[in-house]
Amino acid sequence: MTPLTKIAACLLLVFPPLASAGDSQWTLQQGTLTYHVSHKLHESEGVSHEVRGKGICHAGQCDFLIAVPVKSFDSGDSNRDLHMIQVTRGAQFPMVTVRTKLPESASTSATIQADLEIQFAGQTVQYKQVSFQLVTKDNQIRITGTIPATLTDFKIDPPSLLTLPVKNEIPVRIDLTWRSQ
Amino acid sequence: MKIFRLRTILLSCSCLLAVPFLSLAQTSDPPASSSQDAQKPAVPQDQKAAQNKPQPESQQPATKPSGDLPTAPSSSKTEPSLEDLGFSATQAQGDAKRQALLDKRTHMLKIHQRMGLIAAIPITASVITSVGAGGKDTSKASRDLHAALGGLAGDLYFISAYYAIRAPRVPGTETRGPIRFHKAMAWIHGPGMIATPILGIMAFDQKNKGEKVHGIAQAHGPVAIVTAGAFGAALLSVSLKF
Repeated sequence: MTPLTKIAACLLLVFPPLASAGDSQWTLQQGTLTYHVSHKLHESEGVSHEVRGKGICHAGQCDFLIAVPVKSFDSGDSNRDLHMIQVTRGAQFPMVTVRTKLPESASTSATIQADLEIQFAGQTVQYKQVSFQLVTKDNQIRITGTIPATLTDFKIDPPSLLTLPVKNEIPVRIDLTWRSQ
Repeated sequence: MKIFRLRTILLSCSCLLAVPFLSLAQTSDPPASSSQDAQKPAVPQDQKAAQNKPQPESQQPATKPSGDLPTAPSSSKTEPSLEDLGFSATQAQGDAKRQALLDKRTHMLKIHQRMGLIAAIPITASVITSVGAGGKDTSKASRDLHAALGGLAGDLYFISAYYAIRAPRVPGTETRGPIRFHKAMAWIHGPGMIATPILGIMAFDQKNKGEKVHGIAQAHGPVAIVTAGAFGAALLSVSLKF
């Protein structure tokens, strides 16, 4: 084997992995989204465990997509859930999607500030600098936080009970466990 | 010859080393942060215009090109799509017919709720006026008032019931939560609202003839109380959390 062949073989072995070293993926292992609705007579919460997500990192920058079907939220009352789907136009726009971009280095932080783009009820709304807490364990990261959503952001008419409308604020709690691949 | 080999090696190394740097040109800048805009929605984009267009059944924002759709397969390496998450196009597709069904259901149940609340007023009033509806007089204003309130309560009740019964069912929905109790109570106050006026008319006739209320008509009061109680419980079950 000539010196040139040896060097070429070495370069081929060494450089391809280096060239793709920046690319990694995050997969959502498990997640829970919980919305909270306040009414003068009621406090109710709807929970969904059917959340799915993926993050693709490239050159130090990660693009995340989190999605959940609107109909998967369970408040413990089927009548309320159907009404929720109706007022949020959940049959016409069946998915809630959240997109965000984060630097790959954010995975080592205890807290992150994320700019979120949320598609819900036929509207696209951006939330700036939403705080999330990160807990890293082994190869997994647990992210918790609350999105300060409101009904008016998504042009949703507030549902009413006994002629009293619910509060405009519908904070959405997030609890997501991601695994790096 | 040695110089030629050395040049070839150096050229090969340069090309291989340059490959990772070339791919950096595809990255985008991280999102700019602003403390003033912290945790505030920045740009709500109305999609209603898009809904009115010939392709209304997707989550596509009006201002975005189709390539940026979350439902579309990811065109770039760094943009995951719904299909990447395992959601099928069918799951992400809107269903205008189902939305229309839900809208109709909500509209009818709102009328049901409103009429039920209005019906609660004469039902309560007829229970209160029942105290003075008895007595031995063959004609008594309070008895007439009680009968009129009972009649009004029955009319409003059956209008309310009509909207609950005729509200379209949503296929694939299992009834859970307080609504089950609300519906169960209808099996008590529904027959009760049929029996109460019938028994009431019988009792009313007997009273007007100067007779003591007898026979099955004696059950008018107890049936009415049970009916009103079941109606109140049904109302409260969907109003208050317990």
